[in-house]
Amino acid sequence: MADAFSEASDRSEDDSQDVMTPAELIAKLEQAWLNEKFSPELMESKSEIVECVMEQLTHMEGNLQRVRKGDIKASIHRMEIDRIRFVLSSYLRSRLRKIEKYFPHILEKEKSRAEGDPSFLSPEEFAFAKEYLANTESYLKTVALRHMPPNLQTVDMLKAVPKPCLDSFVFLRVHERQENILVEPETDEQREYAIDLEEGSQHLMRYSTIAPLVASGAVQLI
Amino acid sequence: MFCEKGVELIKELHLLGDGQLSAFNEDGIRQVLDEMKALYEQNQSDVNEAKSEGKSELIPTIKFRHTCLLRNQRCVAAYLYDRLLRIRALRWEYGSVLPASIRFHMCAEELEWFNQYKKSLAMYMRSLGGEEGLDITQDMKPPKSLYIEVRCLKDHGEFEIDDGTIILLKKNSQHFLPRWKCEQLIRQGVLEHVIS
Amino acid sequence: MEKQSYMPVPPGVGMEENFLSLDDILLSHEKLPCTTETAFPRLGFLEKSSDARDIPEGVKMEMPLWLVKGLYEHKRRTLSVQLPKVYRQGWRTVFGADPTVVDLHKMGPYYYGLGSQLLHFDSPENTEIAQTVLQTFIGRFRRTMDSSQNAYNEDTSLLVERLDGLERALFQAGQSGLNDFQRWEKGHSSHLTASSLVLNYRKRKITEVQE
Repeated sequence: MADAFSEASDRSEDDSQDVMTPAELIAKLEQAWLNEKFSPELMESKSEIVECVMEQLTHMEGNLQRVRKGDIKASIHRMEIDRIRFVLSSYLRSRLRKIEKYFPHILEKEKSRAEGDPSFLSPEEFAFAKEYLANTESYLKTVALRHMPPNLQTVDMLKAVPKPCLDSFVFLRVHERQENILVEPETDEQREYAIDLEEGSQHLMRYSTIAPLVASGAVQLI
Repeated sequence: MFCEKGVELIKELHLLGDGQLSAFNEDGIRQVLDEMKALYEQNQSDVNEAKSEGKSELIPTIKFRHTCLLRNQRCVAAYLYDRLLRIRALRWEYGSVLPASIRFHMCAEELEWFNQYKKSLAMYMRSLGGEEGLDITQDMKPPKSLYIEVRCLKDHGEFEIDDGTIILLKKNSQHFLPRWKCEQLIRQGVLEHVIS
Repeated sequence: MEKQSYMPVPPGVGMEENFLSLDDILLSHEKLPCTTETAFPRLGFLEKSSDARDIPEGVKMEMPLWLVKGLYEHKRRTLSVQLPKVYRQGWRTVFGADPTVVDLHKMGPYYYGLGSQLLHFDSPENTEIAQTVLQTFIGRFRRTMDSSQNAYNEDTSLLVERLDGLERALFQAGQSGLNDFQRWEKGHSSHLTASSLVLNYRKRKITEVQE
């Protein structure tokens, strides 16, 4: 996917060594996208990746303007832009959807976040979530709650809106070998047991069992 | 039994399982609120009586009515909230301008919620990347081709494509257009994607 | 995952209810046979068989689950809950013999949901109820899954007729997976179509005009 992409963008790279190549950037985006798509909870925000990809897209659009009309290269680049934009949009959509679904819990988590810990929300997402909560609360209040008896005029959104179900099962592929992962029993007769996850192997497991490994990048949801 | 009205509101929505919106049932809501008022007043007077005259035998009745009050609150809140989820879906399916026939089913406060949601979403999308931002309500499916063949299902008027060309979308006319530009019109049922 | 823009609040898992879930509100509207263990003064009008002013102690009444949950207390009994027929010994034996022959829609349609909710009340039979509900689900799951994966392009009304609400949801999930796969195999998955919401509104408008 990244061939035409790197060709279109190599001029913009500066010479420093720690800069991601476009191919690495797209791989990172795809990784974040799949994890976000399949995990039941909101993952850590990857604002830097989003910003870099947006920059690359603008840059590629710019290059495209300079290519002669009818050039076969132009349509290949156009297709490349469309595909990257799809992945990026789909990634941001998955996140927004979870924010709308779990907003009281996500905002609560953000509130109790220790200073210095990475945020789960980008500043823009945070603004959106706050507005969504305020809009919904004020709507419920105006239409019905304020007409109710005094002791029933509030609904605690934290209790009313369900939490993400972290016990959902997810498919995953192992990037880095893991030892002694404790798996909770499925029935009363079973006992907790430990397994090793071999590199490259694929599994179906409870999300809660491997959530930290998804966050660290040791396993990839598929 | 109490709270029958409340559950009727819920049944009404539940029947429209695929996310459609029925007319806002203002009358139903009002009836539930009236019942709540009556239950609350009876409870107030029984609470006073239980306190002043030491009638503890009234406590089960007070608890009974309070459970009914909570139930009514839940039904109304769930009815309103579920409608918001349906209204939210409209923004993604129709775009930011809703047909009058649908707006007609919404109450004034729902329209206000929709407008605010629209604004928040627009602000979020504008903030992505460069000056123009990114419209994430497009690109709903992975692209397979740049251009697609479409047929026009109704007169839609003039339509500008990427390079500034303006084409006329007339009923039954067929065009070969950039996929990205057509997505929303197809979702709205103005264009139809023709597969050869 | 991104296909449907309307995603309702899902019902709670196990013994939990979700406050805003329409399904859970309808589930908690299911009636349970109860006996009052205290009097409820001034509520006699709710009990149809008499015109007394109060509901006396020791009266058998049908009450919705939500009300029973609100009134039930472990320490001070205000009412006792009897098991609905399908959860009693007799029916448990039937379910144990062959769970696939039972019409769970007629018996339910919230057989699993209500069964899980019954565990809130300290019945001595709770363990057996939980076992039966679980084993029934396991015993029927294979058939539900197979039929949902094999019925392509056919009328499924007979297949879902006897399913509980939970099983119907599973059946639909299987069907939508099957349909997506078939579309992909035919190379139609990139076909852009009008939103089903838009189409349904249009259909409704047409029927309204015709009426």
